[in-house]
Amino acid sequence: MPKIKKKRLGFVIDMTPMVDVTFLLLTFFMFTAKFKTEAEAEQKFVIKRPYASADTSKLPDKDIAIIKVGIDTLTGDTSYYYTIVNELQRRQVYENLNFTTEQRKPQVKVGLDLLDQLIMQTRITGPRTRFAIDGDRRIRYKWIEDAIDVLRKNNATAFNFVTEKRQ
Amino acid sequence: MAGGGGGLEVPERQRRGKQHSKRKKKKRLGFRIDMTPMVDIVFLLLTFFMYTTTMVTPQVMEISVPKEVEENVEVNQANLFTLYVRGDGKLFFSMGTDEPQPIAFGQLRAKVVELNLLRKNKLITAFKPSPDAPYGAIVQVLDILNQAEAEIIRQLQAEGIKRERKFAFVKISPEEVEKLKGL
Repeated sequence: MPKIKKKRLGFVIDMTPMVDVTFLLLTFFMFTAKFKTEAEAEQKFVIKRPYASADTSKLPDKDIAIIKVGIDTLTGDTSYYYTIVNELQRRQVYENLNFTTEQRKPQVKVGLDLLDQLIMQTRITGPRTRFAIDGDRRIRYKWIEDAIDVLRKNNATAFNFVTEKRQ
Repeated sequence: MAGGGGGLEVPERQRRGKQHSKRKKKKRLGFRIDMTPMVDIVFLLLTFFMYTTTMVTPQVMEISVPKEVEENVEVNQANLFTLYVRGDGKLFFSMGTDEPQPIAFGQLRAKVVELNLLRKNKLITAFKPSPDAPYGAIVQVLDILNQAEAEIIRQLQAEGIKRERKFAFVKISPEEVEKLKGL
């Protein structure tokens, strides 16, 4: 018998398994998400880190002061930038150096003299603070050498080079 | 699935009404929620977090330099292995007081391992990068040396010798920079 075919208007898919998986992924990404720090948000350069083979030591996220050597994306100038991750310590260091309100940024653009003073104050306010040099792989070694000399002068003889894992 | 083909819009609601009084009240076993808006939002958030997360966390390479004291350590020149990086990123090495010879990055590891196994713990490695060399090349050399170190430790351990690493960053002299340029 010929039936009148019912015209289908729509269909329903059981979305439950999909939603399960999606929520799982969502929670995973939410927990692993690490947001840019205040200092990174306002910097005008991107550091292309030098490559190194896999190393188990990761960059610590506390008790650390980072000397960045970056190339400004607009002007192409290389400069040192200094950031102390610990906010309390940072405030203390700026206080000791009589920084003006304008200078009190999370990341300051510095010359070698100011870098020297900042490192000295960092050592005073937090003797256990570790130092890391985060340099762009394209810069000349001179920049790094000078930074190492400043660190040595302040008796910080053990420090880290920030690198990126070679893919 | 009850109400298949009925579309997504509020299924089985219209049945209330007239029949209600006549029929025995149907026991409800479940209900359905339209999950579409929720799924929309969840996907939006998911894509946002997927794009913003960076999976590569920067890693660090530990460096230690000697304290700033003006003292000259007497070094047996014969056991001195010097590595140079020229301004253009090319690598050179020299044994003792020999003239620097060029070496490819790919051969460095084997060379370092070989020399260290030959002279055991006596070999002193001095690293002299020229100020004009790209920082990336310097880190690459350090990385190769670190890899070689792991190999050396393993080989020496097999012989029952405890490894003492002798490595130092040494400032390059202007004469050496000039010499490298001529090579």
